[in-house]
Amino acid sequence: MSKGVLVIARNNKNIDYVKQAIFLAKNVSKYLNLPTSIITDNANYVTEHFDPTVFDKIISIEYDDAMNSRSFYDGGLASKSDNFKNSSRSVVYDLTPYDETLLLDSDFVINNDMFLKCFESNQDLLLYKDSCELSNTRNTKEFTYISDTGCEFYWATCVFFRKSSVNKIYFNLIKHIQDEWNHYRRLYQIQSNLFRNDFAFSIAIHIMNGFSKGNFFGEMPGKLIYITDQDILWEKQDDKMTFLVAKKDYLGEYYAISTKGTSVHVMNKFSLGRIIDEELLNEG
Amino acid sequence: MKDKGFLVLAQNSETTDYVMQACLLAMSLQATKNSVPISLVTNDEVPLSYQCLFDEIIPIPFGDDAKDKDWKIENRWKLYHATPYQETIVLDTDMLVLENIDVWWDLLKNYDVYYTSKVYDYRGNVADTCYYRKAFIENNLPNLFSGFHYFKKNDFAQNFYKEVELVVNNWQAFYEIALDKFTPDFASMDVVAAIAAINLDCVTEITNPLIKNPTFTHMKAYCQDWSEVNNNWLDKIGCYISPECKIKLGNYIQTGILHYTEDNFVEKTPVLERYKVLLNV
Repeated sequence: MSKGVLVIARNNKNIDYVKQAIFLAKNVSKYLNLPTSIITDNANYVTEHFDPTVFDKIISIEYDDAMNSRSFYDGGLASKSDNFKNSSRSVVYDLTPYDETLLLDSDFVINNDMFLKCFESNQDLLLYKDSCELSNTRNTKEFTYISDTGCEFYWATCVFFRKSSVNKIYFNLIKHIQDEWNHYRRLYQIQSNLFRNDFAFSIAIHIMNGFSKGNFFGEMPGKLIYITDQDILWEKQDDKMTFLVAKKDYLGEYYAISTKGTSVHVMNKFSLGRIIDEELLNEG
Repeated sequence: MKDKGFLVLAQNSETTDYVMQACLLAMSLQATKNSVPISLVTNDEVPLSYQCLFDEIIPIPFGDDAKDKDWKIENRWKLYHATPYQETIVLDTDMLVLENIDVWWDLLKNYDVYYTSKVYDYRGNVADTCYYRKAFIENNLPNLFSGFHYFKKNDFAQNFYKEVELVVNNWQAFYEIALDKFTPDFASMDVVAAIAAINLDCVTEITNPLIKNPTFTHMKAYCQDWSEVNNNWLDKIGCYISPECKIKLGNYIQTGILHYTEDNFVEKTPVLERYKVLLNV
């Protein structure tokens, strides 16, 4: 059975997801000793600007500039609006070169080998339900349910799946939900019309469970730990990271938190980009 | 005496046709092919076409103590004496049984009296009922729900029901003693059952919070883990009823027992029509 990590990187005007994917692939190699393949709509950019050998395979998809605009924050005081190119996640089942795939967001910073446990699981699909916001001060209800009255929220950030007939149906269903997003977002009383993979993955789980709670999937090891884009990744040295986490009700003020050996989903892509630049510079 | 059966007490008020709710409940039991019959305790008229839904229609024993009362709980303790069954499950009228629960009887036979103490929301999570249960929390009462309970005809259950009778008939006095930290100004059968259980020191013998079933889905709006709550859940989520009487609330298929709680559920949804067509009633 082939095993590997898959990451999708489709740059917009402000965020270099390919650079994040390079950084991720290096961490995957260091901590998980697994190959990483990249799905991208600009393979030339990968080969011309970076060392493409960090990737096992470079999988090209068509360039698509369909607008799915959202704000990307860099801490509490700065933000940019740009295209959120997130429409390719449903096709990973068909595109993955692996029998056992760990699908990761490019802004996930790996600092330990916990994900290796996924490959030991006897369940063919694993996602995170439980998550922990690093500051532990915000209302995280938006990560409990996809809407006030909707189904439970599951993260599409880290997904482990094996090739199986049932998982094929699951990913086809995600594709269908994506294609008919306006219908499904109304059905699940989601206010925003922004397509989100977390929502599509969650709705598909809900449907695969027969519109009830069920055990269609298993849970990823541990909890998904994250910072929002209102927080800042300030420093990274080996597996130690320092964050500036926004103070509740004090816009633009932060307190510092450090982690060691903890993998973190860094939603502030700008601060992650700065840290990666530093690391790449240090590597020469 | 017959072996097993469901029992429901229905007393119409000026605003609500509880007998019709009981008929609907009986239809739901038939539709899900529950093998155990249901009897109705009422002094109100039951429409002729619905009488066949019930095993027996029984007058309220010892007269109606809830005459002229809006909140009619004074007769609830009489169900022990009214039941024609050796083993009885008592249900609230505003409930629907959405699956075959025959297997629950096997579990319940291990108890003399059983109250559920853990209920669920429409999404299948354990419901946080604290909004409605300040008296329970403040006074550290066992979290019993009388909407679903079970008893056998035996000395233990008779003794328990005697205590329930005593408490419900003197609820103000018992509330003063047992509910000194937060005292509601109305009688509740849930609170009455909890006080009776404490008085008889039998809480652990009549409930088990560690098991999932028997239980029910409690549709009181503030139990649903919503950030924005309407008083009536029907204003918040859709209710869909298939021709086979499968019920979906929001996007969730409902199973087990649904305690719909809102009296306008019967008028506002096609539920009655669906069951009538399905069962050819």
